[in-house]
Amino acid sequence: MNYFQLFDIEVSFDVDLNHLSQTYQTLQKTVHPDRFAHASSQDQLLAVQKSAEINDAYQTLKQPLKRAEHILTLRGAEMPNEQQSFSDTSFLMQQMELREMLAEVKFADDIEAAFEHAQQTLTQEYQQLLDVMHKQLFENNTAANALACDNLRKLKFYQKLNIEVDRLEDSLFDD
Amino acid sequence: MAYSEKVIDHYENPRNVGSMDKNDPSVATGMVGAPACGDVMRLQLKISKDGIIEDAKFKTYGCGSAIASSSLVTEWVKGKSIEEAGKIKNTAIAEELALPPVKIHCSILAEDAIKAAIEDYKSKQG
Repeated sequence: MNYFQLFDIEVSFDVDLNHLSQTYQTLQKTVHPDRFAHASSQDQLLAVQKSAEINDAYQTLKQPLKRAEHILTLRGAEMPNEQQSFSDTSFLMQQMELREMLAEVKFADDIEAAFEHAQQTLTQEYQQLLDVMHKQLFENNTAANALACDNLRKLKFYQKLNIEVDRLEDSLFDD
Repeated sequence: MAYSEKVIDHYENPRNVGSMDKNDPSVATGMVGAPACGDVMRLQLKISKDGIIEDAKFKTYGCGSAIASSSLVTEWVKGKSIEEAGKIKNTAIAEELALPPVKIHCSILAEDAIKAAIEDYKSKQG
């Protein structure tokens, strides 16, 4: 299933999120249950399935990492199994340090400053890696796609870190 | 999801948390990660001249099962030769901790950490 096709846009990492959201609304209207109130149960079922598909497509295209993964799958790039361990030692060492940095925020003298520094560091590194993957996706050849797959796997570690940052923010500044 | 008692025990009282000097030639460091959940695991082994694992330390950022798997592995490898340690299978870890199917990858990560550490040791020895 090509989600870009479903949304009638070209396969590209660059998507207009406003346009995407509008198309989503328009597509969902075409399969809204109200329109199928008097339809056969088979047509009702098909409409529900189509609605779920449109939903999946929207969630995939909206989120940069899911979008990148979808593009790479469409291109037939070899995505390593999600469960397969990742063993780029220097990258993982760095990830460990970033996690230690986050764990130490709450012991800092100036917690707010330490948190902001941690958040900035992570955002910056995530964005840099995302930019690199963006260029590789744009190149669209076998070698570049393989590199993009590799960077996508790295970006998933950052995604997890970002969740941790949000959690930390809640625990530190929630009153 | 309910964790088994053994997982909770290792999670609440993790064994051998810590680090060793990764530049020490007798210290083997294994770093592995799981992109699916963002878990990062570091296993370090202190290996004697005759290839026996004298000490083990770990540091894991991840879920309870990942922490328990690495904690258990540090207990299991101590006193073993690197050959014996290299034969530890994820299925044994999963069985000991009664991991549910969705958490099997945590035990795979722990097995891979042992392998990565042994590999690091061998490359250090040349």
